[in-house]
Amino acid sequence: MLKKLTRFYHPKTIEEACQFLGNGEGRTAVIAGGTSAALRADSSLEALVDISHISELNYINKDAAFYRIGACTRVQDIYKSPDLKGPAGKLLQAAAGKIGSTLLRNAITAGGNLAGLFPWSDLPVAYMALDAEVVCRRGRPKRTVPVMSLIETRAPQFLAANEIIAEIIVPAYGPGTGTAFAKLAKTANDYALISLAVRLTLKDGAVNQARIAVNAITAQPVRCLDAEKLLEGKVLTEELTAEAANKAADSLNIRKDIRAGEEYRREVFVVMVRRALNEAFENANRKGGQQ
Amino acid sequence: MKLNTRINGRDLCLEIKPNATLLETLRQAGFKSVKFGCGEGMCGACAVLVDGKPRTSCITLAGTVEGSEILTVEGMGNPDQPHALQQAFVDAGATQCGYCNPGSLIAAKALLDSNPNPTAEDVKDALDGNLCRCSGYVKRIEAVLSAADSTASTTGQKKSTRGKK
Amino acid sequence: MAKTTKKTTVKKAATVKPKVSPAISPIPEAPRFFEKPETFNQVSHSLTKVDAMGLACGTQKYVADVDFHNLLHIKVLGSPHPHALIKSIDASEAEKLPGVVAVFTWKDVPRVMRTTAGQGFPEPSPYDNCLLDNKVRFVGDRVAIVAAESPEIAEEACSLIKVQYQVLKAVFDPEKARDKDAPVIHDEKDCRVPIPIFYDPKHNHCSHVETRVGDVKKGFKQADVVLERTYYPHYAQHCAIEPHTCIAYLDENDRLVLRSSTQVPFHARRITAQTLQIPIKKIRVIKPRIGGGFGGKQEVLLEDVCGLVTLKTRRPCIWALTRAEEFMAARTRHPMVVTIQSGVKKDGSITAISMRIISNTGAYGSHALTVLSNCGSKVLPLYRADNIEFIGDTVYTNLPVAGAYRGYGATQAAFAMECQMDEMAEAIGMDPIKFRQLNHIKEGESSPIFKALGEGREGVDMSIGSCGLEKCISEGMKRIDWAKKYGKPGTGVKRRGVGMCCLMQGSSIPEIDMGAVFIKMNEDGSFNLLLGATDLGTGSDTVMAQIAAETLGCRHTDILVYSSDTDMTPFDVGAYASSTTYLSGGAVINCASKVREQIVAVAADMLGEKMQDITIEEGACYGKGRKSSVTFGQICTYAMYEHKQFQIGAIASHISHASPPPFAAHFAEVEVDTETGEVKVLKYVAGVDCGNAINPQLADAQTQGAALNGISYAMTEEFIFSDNGRMLNPNFGNYKIFSTKDMPEIETFLVPTYEKTGPYGAKSVSEISINGALPAIGNAIRNAVGIRLTRPPFTAEKVLAALKEQAKSGKKASSVKAETEKKPEKASKKTPVAAKAEKPVKPAKPAAKKAKASEKKPAKATAAKKKK
Ligand SMILES: Cc1cc2nc3c(=O)[nH]c(=O)nc-3n(C[C@H](O)[C@H](O)[C@H](O)COP(=O)(O)OP(=O)(O)OC[C@H]3O[C@@H](n4cnc5c(N)ncnc54)[C@H](O)[C@@H]3O)c2cc1C
Ligand code: FES
Ligand code: FES
Repeated sequence: MLKKLTRFYHPKTIEEACQFLGNGEGRTAVIAGGTSAALRADSSLEALVDISHISELNYINKDAAFYRIGACTRVQDIYKSPDLKGPAGKLLQAAAGKIGSTLLRNAITAGGNLAGLFPWSDLPVAYMALDAEVVCRRGRPKRTVPVMSLIETRAPQFLAANEIIAEIIVPAYGPGTGTAFAKLAKTANDYALISLAVRLTLKDGAVNQARIAVNAITAQPVRCLDAEKLLEGKVLTEELTAEAANKAADSLNIRKDIRAGEEYRREVFVVMVRRALNEAFENANRKGGQQ
Repeated sequence: MKLNTRINGRDLCLEIKPNATLLETLRQAGFKSVKFGCGEGMCGACAVLVDGKPRTSCITLAGTVEGSEILTVEGMGNPDQPHALQQAFVDAGATQCGYCNPGSLIAAKALLDSNPNPTAEDVKDALDGNLCRCSGYVKRIEAVLSAADSTASTTGQKKSTRGKK
Repeated sequence: MAKTTKKTTVKKAATVKPKVSPAISPIPEAPRFFEKPETFNQVSHSLTKVDAMGLACGTQKYVADVDFHNLLHIKVLGSPHPHALIKSIDASEAEKLPGVVAVFTWKDVPRVMRTTAGQGFPEPSPYDNCLLDNKVRFVGDRVAIVAAESPEIAEEACSLIKVQYQVLKAVFDPEKARDKDAPVIHDEKDCRVPIPIFYDPKHNHCSHVETRVGDVKKGFKQADVVLERTYYPHYAQHCAIEPHTCIAYLDENDRLVLRSSTQVPFHARRITAQTLQIPIKKIRVIKPRIGGGFGGKQEVLLEDVCGLVTLKTRRPCIWALTRAEEFMAARTRHPMVVTIQSGVKKDGSITAISMRIISNTGAYGSHALTVLSNCGSKVLPLYRADNIEFIGDTVYTNLPVAGAYRGYGATQAAFAMECQMDEMAEAIGMDPIKFRQLNHIKEGESSPIFKALGEGREGVDMSIGSCGLEKCISEGMKRIDWAKKYGKPGTGVKRRGVGMCCLMQGSSIPEIDMGAVFIKMNEDGSFNLLLGATDLGTGSDTVMAQIAAETLGCRHTDILVYSSDTDMTPFDVGAYASSTTYLSGGAVINCASKVREQIVAVAADMLGEKMQDITIEEGACYGKGRKSSVTFGQICTYAMYEHKQFQIGAIASHISHASPPPFAAHFAEVEVDTETGEVKVLKYVAGVDCGNAINPQLADAQTQGAALNGISYAMTEEFIFSDNGRMLNPNFGNYKIFSTKDMPEIETFLVPTYEKTGPYGAKSVSEISINGALPAIGNAIRNAVGIRLTRPPFTAEKVLAALKEQAKSGKKASSVKAETEKKPEKASKKTPVAAKAEKPVKPAKPAAKKAKASEKKPAKATAAKKKK
């Protein structure tokens, strides 16, 4: 476990952090919540840059249209934040609240949960369903990228050596949008067997934008594009949700999981998608919007 | 490697291995209330407050708490002057083998610090990472609720506004 | 049942009334009954647990909480194969690693066959393993021992040991373990059983028990319905949050001290001495605070290894199991295949019960026979039947080793029996509660099973002296709201149901277990109570203090309890078999009574009164008419310093002549999601008759803890194995035990009775309540959606599969009706009776709305109602 580790850096600013990362002194990595088993088992790392104390990475802000979440915000703070509301806020909270336990949520960060991806990571599906964007910083310079590109490429490959995830930008959405999160697991603090986030944004009663993002049943977070397409432009009916749910399941590359059979997980996934769509639809139609 | 932290109100400078966990570090420094149960973050026997937040020390690298403030159950109170929660655990019969208690008490303290008037559901939520194989949790939930009541009444807060779930 | 060589001489002696012979035998006679005082001052009160404040403040010390200079760390290399011969083993690379102090392989240690089961001597478990062997029999079996300066170095050294294995064919299926072509797991010549009982390792056949009462064939003929079903209670691990830990060191006199997380310090001392071939006097075992045991620490797993390392290196050492080792290499619950065939008449009388069990003990036979016997002896006596048959076999497989686990066989068999009870009731169209009320054993009744099935030898005949089961049932029905909820699943996607079960256990192993205590008085009127009984978190130190204080006439806070230390405390078999309160509590009364006599004698001397005129109250003795008094402190000081000086104190033992069962009724309400198969336990009610609870709060806590452990076992806990017998989920990440967020609303209550054979009326309480969840929840699921699950845990996946199966065979349901008609015995085989599948599911109609509930509320109802 981190056998070669010799140094810790404790930067106070993003720029400082990026400098430590880019100084080329052997294998160096960012540590945020530090909960990643993969990180702790890495025996090639020589230095760790602890970004968890950087105050400019720890916040939940809201402006007119977006939530901005600092990468080192603990997921417990997301779960408990009184500022997160509406379809986006509620989805983030639901996903964050289902992560591990209180003790873990106080360590795991919004950015770490995305950068150190595991099949059971719960927040990424919420980010995906919300079309979140990610701000990456190399010191001063920054780029803002769709969360999907970071997930598809995976953070270690996507980010430059001296680059970190600094912020997650989430459109707030409003009335007319409904979201739902669902997790299948054996107990409350279990890793997901299925982690699912859904968003429906309606226009004139019909689905204008649909997002179905899933993890855990798959090896990495994916969106069910066929099912999303099927829904868009249509009014939700029982038949339609059922069809979409089946389509979503068909598109999955179900990973092996010692804890439950493939067929079972597929079957329950269909039920979960159907229910989540209905719930999101109901939320979207709520007077005054989802609260 | 040197580690500067404040543990139970005392500034300490400890000599550690760079890859040491906070659990090892605390136990070596004599804070034996911090227990090993699983080493994977799943049982909470090793929970301590890091800057007021309860975390599992077994998967926390000691290097990441540089400059932080740590509280273990020894720092909450002692048999002569127990914390209200410790007294409540004793009174409610919430201590059985006791191995999980330090961690649970730490988590409970964090709850009451941020929410002095919790519901039973709040308590369950806050203690969800502290496994106990002896108790079935019933008495510890009672204990936390009654400690909340007792601190609320001593600090003059209104009692039992705790409501409907 | 074969008998041990030990004869039941005690019993014989007891029948000969001690004559007025002047020479009183120095061998004490254990009382059969204890006097009931008019009032209780210390017992029957929920007094503060004596170690509670230290535990809550983190000042109590567990095994690993002391620092040792120069401490070595132990790691044991585990086998990667389920069955293999060690062809060659080369530890030279490991030995060269800096920081490695010693490496031991099978070549380096004496070969002494023994059992790791911490049981009375001679043990009823086979001597089928040794310190290290040249054969491995399950994944995780010991291959080599490394002692190094740090755990990391020890671990690395393990990876440097070169082992050449000759992999052997393995057997994992207990139903195939005795097949002709099955590999022989114990083909070594020197495995044996230390007592004359059945043992046939050549066929992987570890133990066999057979008992018959009446004639079951005849019984089945008399029945209106004969049902046969097979149930598969599964593997589980104790999951004490403190892993097994042992520290060994040499003391000033070069004796080996083992500071160990053990439930059985005296057995640990004996078995370690045996294994290391050193005299018992060279060993001292200290049990400090223990972080839970549940039977898992009734096993000598670490002491021999630590002892070896310290004796060979002359340095202190520690071995603490990792969580993964805990799962893979410590002990587990015996998984079983339990087949019950039962005959019942339409009037509700049970004509015959046949219980056949195949118990899987894994690679070694720890508790193999006794867990098996307990399946019968702690379950079958609960219901009256003239014809009973119990046939049990324990087999070896190449899987993790089973052992003692809270419930100890009763858990497994009660699951089968209590599901079967519901099935029988349904088959004859009777309400399941009424059916139980009609048949369960009552005060004054006996069962032939008590005598027929003991632990490794014949049992003890006894009749039920106290039984609060009736009240457990009626009160539990109210609390779960049975009348309103039974058979009302609703019509939505989520269906609800309630289920229940009745339970019994025992209290100690009669005429086998012994406990002893030593009390001495101090000059401030306090007492040291030194006892071998092992508090491992159960609160037994407190219970013993209360019993001592009650007997002596002082407060429990004046009793300083010390348990246990083989140098300092007298012998006790240890904490198992639901014996501590019942058995060791008896020893406390015996001992405290002697001390009390001495106190009275000194007080009489001091006050110039007759002994019979002295009364004791709250730590003081009073003369006639309460005109004069002396405090305990004065009495002890007087005895120490003033006149005819002596130490007020005594030692006493106790054995029991009965094992009175505690009784319980458990109720569960569930909600089943018919689309996902997820089952949510909404509410769980457990009512227990543990006699007179010495400390109601602690008894209640035992019940709550056992109940939730049982629920967690029923719902999620399982061992997942690879094709190669490797456990794939040896961690809390994937072996899920319930947390606060998973628990249902739990309500427990005690139904006080008075057991005259027990100390101050007490019976046992700790084990019984782990047995209820499997059947109560199983029956509730059946009530909700009509499926009968026989292969726990009741995971969503299994529930959904069963629901689909039910939907498929929906047609069959009606034809099943015919099965309730009288049928020849054979035809009933494997025919599921009354599997209903119509929607909405229609469970058996609740008969007998109000089972004559005795209205009086149980007094000690310490319900755990949640504040809302
Ligand atoms: C017992 C247990 C149970 C868990 N259960 C769940 C669960 O149910 N659901 C769930 O979603 N998660 C769960 N997790 C958390 C998950 O497995 C990861 O450990 C976690 O998401 C990592 O987040 P972190 O903040 O701790 O990141 P770290 O562990 O600090 O880092 C993880 C990786 O991301 C990199 N990284 C971190 N932050 C940044 C950044 N800002 N920029 C660039 N790179 C960065 C690090 O270099 C590292 O490679 C669990 C963890 C544990 C230990
Ligand atoms: S030991 Fe840290 S969570 Fe279990
Ligand atoms: S009291 Fe024993 S584990 Fe909680």
